[in-house]
Amino acid sequence: MRTPPAPASIDCLSGLSFVFTGELPGFSRDESVSLAKRYGGRVVGQPSSKTSFVVLGNNAGPGKLKAIEKHNLRTLDEDGFMNLIATRKGPSAGGKVDDKTRKKMEKEEEEIKQGAEELARREEAASLMFLSSGEAISRLTQLWTVRYAPKTLKEICGNKGQIEKLQQWLVDWPGSSKSDFKKPGKNGTNIYRAMMITGPPGIGKTTSAHLCAQLAGFTPIEMNASDARSKKLIESGANTMNQSLDKWLTGKGSLKTAQSVNAAGVEITSRSCLIMDEVDGMSAGDRGGVGALAALIKKTHVPIICIANDRGAQKLKPLLNCSFNLPFKKPDAVMVRSRIMTILYKEKMKVPANVVDQLVEGAQADIRQVLNMLSTWRLSSDTMGFDDSKALVKMNEKYATITPFAIIQKLLGPYMFSPNARETLNDKMELYFHDHSFVPLFVQENYLKTTPSLVRKTDTPPEKLKLLKLMDRAASSLSDADIVDSLIHGPEQHWSLMPLHAVTSTVIPASCMYGNTSYTGPNTISFPQWLGQNSKQNKLMRQLGDIQVRMRLKVSGDKTEIRQHYVPALFPHIVQPLMDDGTSAVDEVIERMDKYFLSKDEWDTLVELGVGSHKDEGVLKKVSTATKTSFTKKYNLKVHPVPFHKAQDLGKLPKKLSAEPAPDLEEAYDVSGWSNATNTQPNFGTRMMTTFRMRTMTTRRNQ
Amino acid sequence: MSLWVDKYRPKTLDELSYHEGLTTRLRSLANSGDFPHLLVYGPSGAGKKTRISCVLRELFGKSVERLKIDQRVFLTPSKRKLDVNIVQSNFHIELTPSDVGNYDRVVIQDLLKEIAQTQQVDLSAKQRFKVVVINEADLLSRDAQAALRRTMEKYMSNLRIILCANSTSRLIAPIKSRCLLVRVAAPSLEEIQAVLQQVAKNVGFDLPPEASEKIAEESNGNLRKAMLVLETLKMQSKDLNSPLLTIPKPDWESYCHKVADLIMSEQTPAKVMEVRGKFYELLSHCIPPTVILKTVADRLVDKMDESLKADVMYWAAFYERRMRIGNKKIFHLEAWVVKVMSLYKVMCTSIY
Repeated sequence: MRTPPAPASIDCLSGLSFVFTGELPGFSRDESVSLAKRYGGRVVGQPSSKTSFVVLGNNAGPGKLKAIEKHNLRTLDEDGFMNLIATRKGPSAGGKVDDKTRKKMEKEEEEIKQGAEELARREEAASLMFLSSGEAISRLTQLWTVRYAPKTLKEICGNKGQIEKLQQWLVDWPGSSKSDFKKPGKNGTNIYRAMMITGPPGIGKTTSAHLCAQLAGFTPIEMNASDARSKKLIESGANTMNQSLDKWLTGKGSLKTAQSVNAAGVEITSRSCLIMDEVDGMSAGDRGGVGALAALIKKTHVPIICIANDRGAQKLKPLLNCSFNLPFKKPDAVMVRSRIMTILYKEKMKVPANVVDQLVEGAQADIRQVLNMLSTWRLSSDTMGFDDSKALVKMNEKYATITPFAIIQKLLGPYMFSPNARETLNDKMELYFHDHSFVPLFVQENYLKTTPSLVRKTDTPPEKLKLLKLMDRAASSLSDADIVDSLIHGPEQHWSLMPLHAVTSTVIPASCMYGNTSYTGPNTISFPQWLGQNSKQNKLMRQLGDIQVRMRLKVSGDKTEIRQHYVPALFPHIVQPLMDDGTSAVDEVIERMDKYFLSKDEWDTLVELGVGSHKDEGVLKKVSTATKTSFTKKYNLKVHPVPFHKAQDLGKLPKKLSAEPAPDLEEAYDVSGWSNATNTQPNFGTRMMTTFRMRTMTTRRNQ
Repeated sequence: MSLWVDKYRPKTLDELSYHEGLTTRLRSLANSGDFPHLLVYGPSGAGKKTRISCVLRELFGKSVERLKIDQRVFLTPSKRKLDVNIVQSNFHIELTPSDVGNYDRVVIQDLLKEIAQTQQVDLSAKQRFKVVVINEADLLSRDAQAALRRTMEKYMSNLRIILCANSTSRLIAPIKSRCLLVRVAAPSLEEIQAVLQQVAKNVGFDLPPEASEKIAEESNGNLRKAMLVLETLKMQSKDLNSPLLTIPKPDWESYCHKVADLIMSEQTPAKVMEVRGKFYELLSHCIPPTVILKTVADRLVDKMDESLKADVMYWAAFYERRMRIGNKKIFHLEAWVVKVMSLYKVMCTSIY
């Protein structure tokens, strides 16, 4: 890496926005972006009319070049960028800043000051309360996350619209309760008795729920993963608060008589609001809890707010139907920054804005985590530099699972393998280990879809040859990888070969074929076909096996022989006539099938096995619907020779039912049904079954 | 209304038409009273199964032809249920253990012991032993082959085994040393033509020698294929004498040829992906990868320049071996395609 020059002042790039495109000769992409941020610059992805500079490297993207021309932007090369850092004076060194930026900065500073004063006022009031009430906990010993938790809706970062909806729903609650949840209201929320808030951790879901409830005049009662919430407990109400949830159901009426007070000493009234936090944490111990909660929601008379992280989770399915969904997004970095800056000002810490940005970005907009990091840092120091923040973020890095799609973008993208990339071999292999069964499949599916950086123009013969050489290297490495894989998953289980598999299956192919990947068109990165194709192959193989067994009495060939020679040879006998002659050929076809013990199912398989001109879609299109129906009808009318009976065809009564009391025969059959039932055995069986089922259902209901 | 190939299948050793020497030997073996274990091997469509059933007929008489299919359930050590289909008569039993993949050992162990430990109860039976025919013996796992070894010696008085395989290379040496090896070679062109003519005579139509020659050439020594093609041909074209007669190709073969043409047409990543799609189509429709590779390679060699032929075949052999060792066949097929494309491109550019 080239050493950057000493900056003219520490905030020399403030007020400027940059777009980077192409590769700089001396820096990797990460390094150049971090340089710009370190000196107060803003880095954006796409150039617009507001962009101050575009830093151009080699092989710049054509889209960005067009935008530069369109907006008439100033461009810099690497030296120009270095020069800018070394010479431009930031506001702290008395440099000139245009009016707009200065005003903006002043305004921001003013807001921060105001916010901090507000915080201080509130703290003072609280400490007065503390003195008078004699509460055991002082504000000063509280965690920052508690001390600086938002107290008004305005203070919550982001998700304004969603919070308003929640607020409105709570405010409308008495009205919608009266109308029996029939009027949807302006947001369509008022027909629901519950809200479901979903979103990543640390963005204020629980806080918003509590605040909204309080502001709408409700007393929030929270149940979270630390409380047992099994089906029984939710239904009977023997939960931690020793409080039956049945009380929630009755609402106002019965509460007049029974004074119900929960463990925390909060009186339950119709103005209570149940907050079910961490519903996706209702796991093994809380069996049936989600179902019971869903049932509770259907009849509740107090509002219920459910909170979860992952909306897609399978076990939340029952809740999604009966509650209004409120997805919360990660708040905007700017909003989080101003809030954090306010708190820092209050705490008298000196941390520049770009450092805070770094922290917020590193914690993935998790405000709680940023506050925790800062409060720990405060113990040792009052200031924080850019490098400190980087180290801190690195230390507190959340183990984020990257999706295979993101991994493949990184691997095949233009930066990972470029000459000035800083990633070591281990870093590249690490990507494989994120998901060692999927990543190789993704690489194999997509390695041909890039525009390789190692080959620039693909229209000259030598370049075309070079491209083929690279493809050859990648493909043969993938073939090596499969051999390694079979050693790993073979009988001897050489798991120690995993790193070799990482290199051969992922690193080598990517190192040959890396380049620009596209998001649209035929070359979009896609999910590996292998999985689907493989299961299709297994399915057809099994069906082919069935055919072979049935034909076995006549035919000596094995499965593959049947597919390769008999399927094409049978085609003119049992499929072609239906296509050409239609209904008149049906009898002949059925006769031919009976010779080989083939049933209608096997006929379907035979058609499905065709490729090319015999492809099933094309063939079935040519058989008219009338022919198909007459074929099925005629086939079902006749009795066909069967080579053998499968064990499962004979059918047994499930064992479980034998424990039930024997059915009352009079109840089981009406008089007219009796004769039918005695005539046909299978009918008898099914009738017994239905009776059993009906009986079990009624007994359950009685209980 | 069965297909001719099944209708006119020889039932006794006397009806067999080619490999006279082999037939005589099998007859004397069957009549000697000292019948050994057999390992019958040869390419598909050469007549292995036909000969096995003829030998059985010679051993036990006509009643061996009364076959029935049974589905038996076996339990693996991990309590998984395996369904295995068994074809049997009173005197013999025929199974394909490789159908259950890695669990073939369980089938071999359970079933063989069960048969071996019960004696022939039918007093009128011609032989005191039963015969077990094991199909696709070359696909047996090593464990299953090992499980066969001792059983073959220990229960010799009750049991004879006939293994049927395409090649002996995947069988372990101890098995081979316990069997009498019987090679059933593919019939020659003349032999196939003779059989075709015989069938035509039986059916009652006139087969011109040119047509039978064409069919025989096309069949690559696979008599089953030749017979099926003959029947298809007779059905589709009324006039077998026409000089323009073309032999119908099976659907997958013409599809493979399309793949070969794609490889020749253009050598770009997009084409490789198109070829990949076609390979997936073939594989998922149960065409074995080795057959695909062979068919495509044959077609390429037909069309390509002389100088490249050796290389194309070398790499085809190289990747075929890898396919057998590896798991995901498509990876190797694709690697071969890319290799061939780059070889072809090098040649094309060096010409200009």
